[in-house]
Amino acid sequence: MVSLLRNQKVRNTLLQVVYVGSLAALVLAGIIIARRNLAEQGITSGFDFLYKSTGWDVNFSLLPATANDPYWWFFLIGIINTLFLGCTGLILATLVGTIVGLARTSANELAQLLGRTYVDIFRNIPLILQVFFWYALITHLPTPRAAHEAWGLLLTSRGLYVPAPNVGGVAMALATSAVIAAIALPVWLGRTSRLSQPFGQRATIQLAGAAAALACAAIILVVGRLPDAPLLDFPALQGLNLRGGLRVPPEFSALAIAIAIYGGSYIAEIVRGGFKSVGKGQMEAARSLGLSPWRVFTLVRLPLALRAMLPILANQYVWLMKATTMGIAVGFTDFFMIVALTINHSGQTLEVIGILMGGFLAINLSLAAVFNRINKAIALKGNQLRG
Amino acid sequence: MEMVIVAPPAPGRLEDLKRRFFATPLQALLSLISLAIMVSTVWKLLNWAVFSAVFTTSGGPEACQAAAGACWSVIAARWRIILFGLYPFEEQWRSALACLTVVVMTVLSCIPAFWTGRRIALVWGAGAASYYVLMKGGVLGLSYVGEEAWGGLALTLFIFVTTCLIGFPLAVCLALLRRSELPWISRTTGLIIDGVRSLPLISILFTFAIVLPFALPQWLAGDKLYRVILGSALFFSAYQAEIVRGGMQGVPAGQEEAAMALGMSYWQRIGRILLPQAMRNALPATINQFVISFKETSLVVIVGFFEILASGNAAYGTGEWRFAYVEVYAFIAFIYFVFVFSLSRYGAFLERRMAVGER
Amino acid sequence: MISSNSTKAGGPAVRIENLDKYYGTFHALRKVNLSVERGERIVICGPSGSGKSTMIRCINRLEQHNGGRITVLGTELNDDIGNIDGIRREVGMVFQHFNLFPHMTVLENCMIAPTLVRNQPRAEAEATARRYLEKVRIPEQAMKFPGQLSGGQQQRVAIARALCMQPQIMLFDEPTSALDPEMISEVLDVMVTLASDGMTMICVTHEMGFARRVADRVIFMDGGEIVEQAPPEEFFTASQNERTRQFLSQVLGH
Repeated sequence: MVSLLRNQKVRNTLLQVVYVGSLAALVLAGIIIARRNLAEQGITSGFDFLYKSTGWDVNFSLLPATANDPYWWFFLIGIINTLFLGCTGLILATLVGTIVGLARTSANELAQLLGRTYVDIFRNIPLILQVFFWYALITHLPTPRAAHEAWGLLLTSRGLYVPAPNVGGVAMALATSAVIAAIALPVWLGRTSRLSQPFGQRATIQLAGAAAALACAAIILVVGRLPDAPLLDFPALQGLNLRGGLRVPPEFSALAIAIAIYGGSYIAEIVRGGFKSVGKGQMEAARSLGLSPWRVFTLVRLPLALRAMLPILANQYVWLMKATTMGIAVGFTDFFMIVALTINHSGQTLEVIGILMGGFLAINLSLAAVFNRINKAIALKGNQLRG
Repeated sequence: MEMVIVAPPAPGRLEDLKRRFFATPLQALLSLISLAIMVSTVWKLLNWAVFSAVFTTSGGPEACQAAAGACWSVIAARWRIILFGLYPFEEQWRSALACLTVVVMTVLSCIPAFWTGRRIALVWGAGAASYYVLMKGGVLGLSYVGEEAWGGLALTLFIFVTTCLIGFPLAVCLALLRRSELPWISRTTGLIIDGVRSLPLISILFTFAIVLPFALPQWLAGDKLYRVILGSALFFSAYQAEIVRGGMQGVPAGQEEAAMALGMSYWQRIGRILLPQAMRNALPATINQFVISFKETSLVVIVGFFEILASGNAAYGTGEWRFAYVEVYAFIAFIYFVFVFSLSRYGAFLERRMAVGER
Repeated sequence: MISSNSTKAGGPAVRIENLDKYYGTFHALRKVNLSVERGERIVICGPSGSGKSTMIRCINRLEQHNGGRITVLGTELNDDIGNIDGIRREVGMVFQHFNLFPHMTVLENCMIAPTLVRNQPRAEAEATARRYLEKVRIPEQAMKFPGQLSGGQQQRVAIARALCMQPQIMLFDEPTSALDPEMISEVLDVMVTLASDGMTMICVTHEMGFARRVADRVIFMDGGEIVEQAPPEEFFTASQNERTRQFLSQVLGH
């Protein structure tokens, strides 16, 4: 027996069996105990509850939602809310981060100082504190009655009111996809016509594509608008409340602003790092070819910096997506809050935790897949450059 | 640092200024815009926070609300609840002393003389133990104060320190398991680490606080505070494990081979050869992780703990100070800022020093 | 010495029979047979990728062999952990890239294994370490860190570190390949001294001058096989094998 334990192969097998076995036993025991405990409370395990109606409502949804809708519909709403908030925050944060990052890399020392101060302050204050702050700020704004209007926008304690197009749901969806096409088309056209067309013509084709898609969107909006209504619906005070327009609830705004500011400070550092990684030699070469400073920036510095940034940026975006879970702090019904509410109301703890893990795994994996594709597409070809 | 470009002694100050900020029209525009933003922000901030602000409680909330600037009276009136939560009023010096212990401990662990496994463990072990005794009492003539009464900054620091104290050794274990040559051990550990990393911290805290009691026998469930700390430590360790593993990958394979050839056992190789070098490689990233983890401690407010954010909400949320939320959040933000900024500056300093050392 | 009792006396120092080693599908060693007597000095040479490093790394189990038998000092090297530990204690190794522990001083580098593995008291380990540092002619560098030494000095420390375990066999894996030319001789001198003390040595090296002066036998490997082995004078002057002659002309020609 003792000599058997001294055998390397026996010992290795034993170690693996014990490790994996005890972990599996731990998880299994947890599940068994949980099922027994839940059964004592009269909760039967299984996914049948997904088809029952919830009996509670969500405060933010892009899809129609009532308390009669089943749980699975609410999970879908939660995922869409998370993605919507995540994408909004991600775009805003990228915008903020790019501006601040460029300020930090600019030759101007005052702009550098400004960018650095921004990063130092907002990076070092926890995100949730910033969420709380913006939420408190917005909910302490004047009530709808006392709010003043500017450019059709109304800032009130009940949220931000913006003019909304008076169009049906189908037309809205079609128009949105047309706008997305307007962004995607030039990229796609640029790639397919790269080899066959000279540079000038390529730009023309790209512009034409984008313009066509935008025109499409406009036509859809005009044709698809609701009968007997102006194209744009402005919010207006009616009695004690505001009617018309689109209300961006304070929960959403607070989260989006906080994520944009906090995430922006991180992205600024990524942008700065990306630009710092571009070799001096490359820029000197570009300048010695007689390129103007603007051309040096757009043709050499930016493309190289982007390639260096993208993998780190991808991580940051995944992080931002996960940060949307702070919605629960101010009552924004993101995916996680729906999960928490479901556990409270239905008691289907194990199943819902499983759905939570699966949901985030799916979000993370799809984001990673998208970025891997972009990375691969723009990666410098060949491996002879390094060293 | 890279920011300050020391100009050579130029003939005139004016020309120097011109060269640095107004070299081209674009530069001039950028300088002016930056200057305008800076001046207006600093002026507004100073005006609000200092010139027009009220600092004393003498006028009461009403006078304070009427003032144009900040109402720091709310801090003067409520700082104790923000820092110490619901800890018994007469005993709050213990809470303060406990916070001080944590600060001293952090400062000590920034001194290179303490960077051996045994010394750092001693500092943190002793620090956490004295914190616990101070806060909980029941011995040495200190009256007993249960965990449910802990709050404010003191609770935040307690959660942070215990998270690191549990999370760090766990991270080293996970890193070692993941780089194991045995495929099943390394794969299973990889699954655990990647799984935890793909989840948001809030969902893990929630699971440990609210769901875990279902899955544990009664006698094992323990206090909610310690379950949440465990969850937080698990999350910390999953990230820190990858940092430690990165540090280990930076140690050449020849180091372990040499140790093997000298007949050293697995634990001797890990303890004497691999870890000391890996930890040194991983130091800047580790400090960064500590910074992140300190900021994330604030998330426990969501599972219902009375840490500094919740106590801040309570400080302005009730009664006559409802309007003074900006001041309260500014105060809390300042506390976080002091901790996080100094720690991250220290991390950047270390990184630079190590980069120089490698040359 | 404490060490010499722990393994059986008599028999060859190392006996390798039908040794096979694969890296994935690559057949790195093909049925290699070799026997090294106690006190014998062997030099192994051959083109890169010929399996010479792999073979000596198998002797102290830095690589695990896939077939055949290795017996070191009468103990078979198999899956028994006790045997592996026992053999590693008696076999010292010097690497191409020194592999000194950069976070320890030279003295600590030399003391760590004797104190941890042989449980020697620190004072005794330090005395041994200083004696061997004297032997490799760098006693004055004891308190420095490896990073502060030249390549040649580092390699001599590495030799001293291995000797501090008082091994019965020393393996050298291209000990001079990573050195600047002017430092090679200081390392070779130490190795020659060691050879004259009667140490069993197995050296993978391309230093043919060293082979000529010191080796009892020169072994030429190619394609994972031992192609030829002979005493140096015969090996260098009257080699029978075409591949050996070609290799020698490449090594000695320049």
